[in-house]
Amino acid sequence: MRTHRIFASFCFVALACLPAAAQAPAAKTATSAVKSKWTPPKTPWGDPDLQGEWPATARIPMQRATSLGNRAELTDAELAERLSRAQKDAEADSEEFSKGSGDVTINPPSYWQERGKPDRQASLVVDPPDGRIPPLTPEGQAAVKALRGGLGPGSHFPDKVDSWEDFDYYSRCISRGMVSSMLPTLYNFGNEILQAPGYVIIRNEMIHETRVIPLDGRPHVGKAIVSYMGDSRGHWEGQTLVVETSNLESQPGAGGGLFTDAAVLTERFQRISPNELSYDVTVNDPKTWTKPWTIHMPYKLDPSYRIYEYACHEGNYMMLDALTGARDLEKKGQSTKVIP
Amino acid sequence: MRTFATLLLAAVLPAAAQNTAYRAPRAFDGHADLSGIYEALNTANWDLEDHAPQPGTMWQTGAIGAQPAGQSVVEGGVIPYKPEALEKKKANFANRRTNDPEAKCYLPGIPRANYLPYPFQIVQTPRGIMFVYEYASANRLVNMGKPEEAGSDTWMGTNNGHWDGDTLVVDVTGLNGLAWFDRAGDFASKQLHVVERFTRTDPYHLNYEATIEDPSVFTRPWKISMPLYRRVEKNAQVLEFKCVEFVEELLYGQYKKQPAAAPSPK
Amino acid sequence: MRTRLATWAAGAALLLTPVWAHHAFQAEFDRDKPVKLTGKVTEIEWINPHSWIHIDVTNPDGTVTNWMVECGSPNIMLRRSFTKRSLEVGAEITVQGYQAKNGTNRANGSSVTFKDGKKLFVGGSNPDVPEDQK
Repeated sequence: MRTHRIFASFCFVALACLPAAAQAPAAKTATSAVKSKWTPPKTPWGDPDLQGEWPATARIPMQRATSLGNRAELTDAELAERLSRAQKDAEADSEEFSKGSGDVTINPPSYWQERGKPDRQASLVVDPPDGRIPPLTPEGQAAVKALRGGLGPGSHFPDKVDSWEDFDYYSRCISRGMVSSMLPTLYNFGNEILQAPGYVIIRNEMIHETRVIPLDGRPHVGKAIVSYMGDSRGHWEGQTLVVETSNLESQPGAGGGLFTDAAVLTERFQRISPNELSYDVTVNDPKTWTKPWTIHMPYKLDPSYRIYEYACHEGNYMMLDALTGARDLEKKGQSTKVIP
Repeated sequence: MRTFATLLLAAVLPAAAQNTAYRAPRAFDGHADLSGIYEALNTANWDLEDHAPQPGTMWQTGAIGAQPAGQSVVEGGVIPYKPEALEKKKANFANRRTNDPEAKCYLPGIPRANYLPYPFQIVQTPRGIMFVYEYASANRLVNMGKPEEAGSDTWMGTNNGHWDGDTLVVDVTGLNGLAWFDRAGDFASKQLHVVERFTRTDPYHLNYEATIEDPSVFTRPWKISMPLYRRVEKNAQVLEFKCVEFVEELLYGQYKKQPAAAPSPK
Repeated sequence: MRTRLATWAAGAALLLTPVWAHHAFQAEFDRDKPVKLTGKVTEIEWINPHSWIHIDVTNPDGTVTNWMVECGSPNIMLRRSFTKRSLEVGAEITVQGYQAKNGTNRANGSSVTFKDGKKLFVGGSNPDVPEDQK
């Protein structure tokens, strides 16, 4: 029972978990440019005002079920099903009294996560039109495989626990990197936009990231300076903030490939109504992916949301416990592989 | 004749001569504009008090890891520890190679974040004043509205700010007592209360003062002060220094899988 | 399910965050060591990625063992109006979960309740510890 529930929640961010839609309406493609008649108010110095708390609450899977093909939106029936599942989750979460010894797992109770809200958008990936990340180039595949001496990237559920390098950067509390820092996760998905003359600041709660993005057209830093969050430069195109990010550290995670020195991320932020921020990010790294790909994320304003300090590394007991636990398992001749 | 008139004016209007005092440029909201990138240029991060040159924690790094001399930034020179707290400071110092939170890439807390040897940026926004530190991606948003109480204790504290003329005053509570003040083991507890004052004294310097209070550790409140220097390079930028990946060996190295020949770690 | 997991693991969109990553509880706790603990809170670490509640558990033989129980992120609690003042030292709680793989007195808090079965940090209208359970 519990396993099923875990897997069901799992599915909201995983692939291929939606029921096959037998009768699909006419195919619709989402576009990254959003037409809006509404013009946002201006900051005191005259820039479009995008400021506010925009937590990543939309519960949209990264990639689209292949059965949906090029259909970018769910049908009413599919959305109703997602909503009903979310409703059941919310009811379970707000049960005040425990039901005796049911529901004991290795995870914390589900009411200690923050739930996103189901959305009609079928997948975060909206381009290519099938909503799936394009394949890696041969070079891109080889680069990922070569990690950890040929074992591939570290993971949440590592194949062994020899060292911290068997875990992913997120579990090591280093960074979620780009683009992941902007996207939904299971909790603490706070994003805040602040503005000042000549700057836009984007804060991500997990893991206390702050991008201070200059708007004055200055060049990027030199190619040798790479970072997990990259080097961002912004400018306005009408009401849309366009941010170009390069100088990305070669990090596993985003879209399954590693960024190279050719990687450029282009984000577009447009406030299309008082409470909605349309966000697109195009990932272009021809050395890694065979085509550029684009994510669309509909942010909703939540003035009641508050970002709190997320000091991850400082409290990462898990790393110590997992390593010492693995050494104990080895002494007993057992495998250290972590099963989800 | 003009020179005489000027001299006469200067003689009879001494107050007017004082109006050459610097006035910071204005931010969008009419307050002083403190925005910019700053960095401390002293050795306060080694030791807030007077210190002679001495070996660092790793002789293998030669002069690079050694501690330079430096003058106290503490008003009155010495930190007023209670006797038992002074013993704890000495123990911290003796164990600083492994216990200094800076060595472990832990968030630096306040006031230390402001005088680490890394730049930080102040950005004034309608939603509050952002401090973005290069070291460990530390940051804090200073609330300039109605002061808020700390809901839980954190590394960078709960920061409530207001203007006192052209001085930004930040009242910091809700600190978790785990950060140090410097590499010499100076410390405080969860009861730490810091009141900071940031004032631009001229185009290139930001005067920084912090009054520190913790009745469980110190016999009285005490104060530090120092200039912070504006980074004036055209391309000045706070870069990224996550540093976690540089400390994993220090923190966890003894627990990783050892090569087959070595005995298993206990 | 195996096939789906294999597909996932085979590595297309690895942006995913499976349930309860921040980090893998499965790396830390042992499925074969279920525990049920009742004890008084001695300390609360309101930290990330997850907070830890320390409790003194009286063993059948009368000795007392201090356990550390892993709970949720304080950020979530704060957004629900629970603060560090919402759970006090001395409160009695019952924990069900699994013990750490390394055999220490650490457990995950899969179910954390007060004596009457009320779940910890649910019910925003009265976040305080009930008087009779302090």
